[in-house]
Amino acid sequence: MATWTWFHRFGSPPWVYGFAARWAPWFGGAAVLSMLIALYGGLILAPPDYQQKDAFRIVYIHAPVATMSMAVYSTMAVAAAVGLIWRMKVAHAAAAACAPIGAWFTVATLATGMLWGKPMWGAYWVWDPRLTSELVLLFLYFGYMGLRAGIEDPQKADKASAVLAIVGAVNIPIIKYSVNWWNSLHQPATRLIGEADMDWSMVWPLLLMLAAFFLYFGWVMLIRLRAELLRRERNASWVREVVA
Amino acid sequence: MNEFFAMSGYGQYVWPAFGIGFGIVVLIYVMAVSSLAAAKQEAKRRLEMNP
Repeated sequence: MATWTWFHRFGSPPWVYGFAARWAPWFGGAAVLSMLIALYGGLILAPPDYQQKDAFRIVYIHAPVATMSMAVYSTMAVAAAVGLIWRMKVAHAAAAACAPIGAWFTVATLATGMLWGKPMWGAYWVWDPRLTSELVLLFLYFGYMGLRAGIEDPQKADKASAVLAIVGAVNIPIIKYSVNWWNSLHQPATRLIGEADMDWSMVWPLLLMLAAFFLYFGWVMLIRLRAELLRRERNASWVREVVA
Repeated sequence: MNEFFAMSGYGQYVWPAFGIGFGIVVLIYVMAVSSLAAAKQEAKRRLEMNP
């Protein structure tokens, strides 16, 4: 019984709108604070890498945005599936709120990766499985947003874009495991815990930066979710109360 | 200090990477806030048109 009350609450646009408004600033404050500490740790406290020297520091921006490009897509696909299965408007709104954020994270991943690839591999871009599948991710985000923008009926747009998001999710494991499945120029994932590949002084800023980016995503996603809910529910009485 | 900015010769790659990365972080936030502001504005306008 108690488990279902929260689920029903999350199905209610005005409740979610209020929830998002209350929680966003906490996510934002925690995100900014942890980003600043992680930046200090990554740029100043961590020693240079024995092979890559100071170029390795790009990891503190590249790995978090790359992780988010995939995590945001996964969130979007799960939200879209929830929206399809339980006909939950709020879930479709959440999926729609994810898309532009994820697309920008993907742009950041490609750009920071190119700036790391040039000094390490000698080229900004190579048609490598990891890089190519990440580029496909960007096109999936574009496709999702384009499809939504192109269909006027919101319910049809929700359904069609949700199917695209779910089908496209197959690309996420391809990106993740591309470095293991194929011969890739891209380095494999760095182990951060247990038998770590890096010294703790290099690891903690990266873990903190990853946490910071998840908090940051929570922050901006809740802001975008409110905008989505206002647009969809423009004829609902709760919107009158909120903007009045 | 100069040594810090030089990044052992990789400064021309490290700093643009951080600049673009965190530039996009700021951009995502600004776009989210302006999207919410626009949605509120639009809702208000509708309210004024048919109270």
